Amino acid sequence: MAKDPVRVLVTGAAGQIGYALVPMIARGVMLGPDQPVILHMLDIEPAAEALTGVRMELVDAAFPLLRDVVATTDVTVACKGVNIAVMVGGFPRKEGMERKDVMSKNVSIYKAQASALEKQAAPDCKVLVVANPANTNALILKEFAPSIPEKNITCLTRLDHNRALGQLSERLKIHVSEVKNVIIWGNHSSTQYPDVNHATVTPANGEEKPVRSVVADDNWLNTEFITRVQQRGAAIIKARKLSSALSAASAACDHIRDWVVGTPKGTWVSMGVYSDGSYGIQPGVIYSYPVTCDKGQWSIVQGLKIDDFSRQKMDATAKELVEEKTLAYSCLN
Amino acid sequence: MQKTSEDDTKHPTFRGVRMRSWGKWVSEIREPRKKSRIWLETYPTAEMAARAHDVGALAIKGCSAYLNFPELAKELPLPASMSPKEIQAATSRAAASTRIINSSFNTEMLSCQWTGGIEAIVARLELPSRLSWFLGRFLALYSMAKDPVRVLVTGAAGQIGYALVPMIARGVMLGPDQPVILHMLDIEPAAEALTGVRMELVDAAFPLLRDVVVTTDVTVACKGVNIAVMVGGFPRKEGMERKDVMSKNVSIYKAQASALEKQAAPDCKVLVVANPANTNALILKEFAPSIPEKNITCLTRLDHNRALGQLSERLKIHVSEVKNVIIWGNHSSTQYPDVNHATVTPANGEEKPVRSVVADDNWLNTEFITMVQQRGAAIIKARKLSSALSAASAACDHIRDWVVGTPKGTWVSMGVYSDGSYGIQPGVIYSYPVTCDKGQWSIVQGLKIDDFSRQKMDATAKELVEEKTLAYSCLN
Repeated sequence: MAKDPVRVLVTGAAGQIGYALVPMIARGVMLGPDQPVILHMLDIEPAAEALTGVRMELVDAAFPLLRDVVATTDVTVACKGVNIAVMVGGFPRKEGMERKDVMSKNVSIYKAQASALEKQAAPDCKVLVVANPANTNALILKEFAPSIPEKNITCLTRLDHNRALGQLSERLKIHVSEVKNVIIWGNHSSTQYPDVNHATVTPANGEEKPVRSVVADDNWLNTEFITRVQQRGAAIIKARKLSSALSAASAACDHIRDWVVGTPKGTWVSMGVYSDGSYGIQPGVIYSYPVTCDKGQWSIVQGLKIDDFSRQKMDATAKELVEEKTLAYSCLN
Repeated sequence: MQKTSEDDTKHPTFRGVRMRSWGKWVSEIREPRKKSRIWLETYPTAEMAARAHDVGALAIKGCSAYLNFPELAKELPLPASMSPKEIQAATSRAAASTRIINSSFNTEMLSCQWTGGIEAIVARLELPSRLSWFLGRFLALYSMAKDPVRVLVTGAAGQIGYALVPMIARGVMLGPDQPVILHMLDIEPAAEALTGVRMELVDAAFPLLRDVVVTTDVTVACKGVNIAVMVGGFPRKEGMERKDVMSKNVSIYKAQASALEKQAAPDCKVLVVANPANTNALILKEFAPSIPEKNITCLTRLDHNRALGQLSERLKIHVSEVKNVIIWGNHSSTQYPDVNHATVTPANGEEKPVRSVVADDNWLNTEFITMVQQRGAAIIKARKLSSALSAASAACDHIRDWVVGTPKGTWVSMGVYSDGSYGIQPGVIYSYPVTCDKGQWSIVQGLKIDDFSRQKMDATAKELVEEKTLAYSCLN
């Protein structure tokens, strides 16, 4: 236990996703079973007592890896010295709210938090934005925290990536660990494009084969599979009467762990990252790409062939992101 | 690493294969130019152990390896080089064609996982680096080939279940190399929510989660389970009398006892979480007579962990530096959190009794006790919901320590069937200090009990006897 602890911030920590996420972090799911952590938990004043309750439960769980817990409603205190920030807190869409209203509320939140993070966080702090609209919240955060390297600001599309793997494993009746290299392109919204053109299946002692040939149903892969993954969030809400928390928290851990520890050889994952123009996507948005990770850095997987069908879908989700960006900026004025 | 015992018998023809005195076959290879052996695995047949030996021998000695099945060497292709990719291909194929069963070696592996994973085990063997790498991959791939363990969670659509299932699926309960199959049971009104949980488990793409069975049918739920965590029960609602709550739960646990007894795997380990935990566990035991009584326990690890947490906060130290508190008795407000044998061991200091480090007997005998006893209520007050995260975590700790074993010099608290130890009447499920080894718990004996403790231990025992009487009256 001689490693220095890593400070992990979770905003919106009193909510559902936070409650699922903090025990995962405290057990080493995010950073490994030998990495001590200090949790910083932030929420808004109305949730202060609930936040205290979460802190009490973390103490009650006697986690060996959890060195300390900072529970606060003060964003400056929350951001102090953090090495990893998981931004779960945001303004949820309520009935009757227009898209512009939701965007406006979240832009204010992420502008303020950008400021605090930039001033207080440790150098090289890695940021993962979960709260929706995730890509645009992350973009706002980036714009208002200019001293945080743009490569350190990402958004979560790993949930969609994992959902895509899950749907393929159910379809093929195989274990999910035998499928890999799906790609989620674009926005964490209903325009996301789950792409299997480079995905493969590798059974226990068999050879790696393209998903398209193993599934042998291009129609399904190009229609139903895509809509299932795009709309899975709504399906969860319908069944649970609550939105995904367990799987979102788990995906957040996967995103950070692979970023920090590195992706396995031959495998990539999906992350929303600041576009550099790769694959013809205009720079200046946070766009989900296939990435590999090594030594704490992500790199976009280059050179993948893009067919017309994919091109059209990738452009459509990029278009939506540009529209969101415009909307967000209009809220700032 | 295991040592050869005198009771081992070398196989008459297979090289690198020994039979353990309890009838399993273990596979070993010799380290090059050394007398020491590397244990590989334990198998139900000598043939399997012999094949495992062949893979190891091929990797170490290559063409000059003595093989038990030279004619099968094509299936275990000679690595063209010692490059990791070549060796990985070889071990993948061997692992896929050989069944692995749990063995006491795996248990040691599991306990090593908590301090650093397979790499740590391999590092401890201090092998030449090429062999270390091979052995690490070999063990990792073999452990992916472990048979999955079936874990049942009842009340799985509820709060505790939702916190618990991702912990199980991530290996918190049984170790990072143990594949699991989750069985989730809840009542019909919760069926859709339960389906939602299953969907999320699929969406999380957990590497260790081999399958999920969701059902409202207790017979299906219990089929073949190796571990059962009974979270489901009838919660107390406003206006309900104690007898009403007891009556509802007695019916539930009687029915589930029956199903478990008929359907579960032999040696199924049971943990009852739903309150009244001790008495629910007792009813379960009474109505599942073919389940060994030692396999039926209830959760007081939450109280135990809470006690450690309170001491760590008081002393401003890390919770891992405190150990050996005891929770005696009932998982209720009469529980007795006892620090008389608890110790504090700072990072590089000596072990000291908690009483002397805290230096405030009054606090330890009054406020500390009530804080732990009433912590559940305090959580409800803050969260407006009862503890789920910490209860789920404690359930994982309880099962893990039971299966994998407690660390040397440390005990934990478990509600177990009383055998009369410490003057507690037999026939109730009472929380005791226990150590665990090879999948069995044993009550820590010989601890001195002062008068103050005696009185508290008896009070909680008395409550358990009363609950038992009440429960039995509900059955008639």
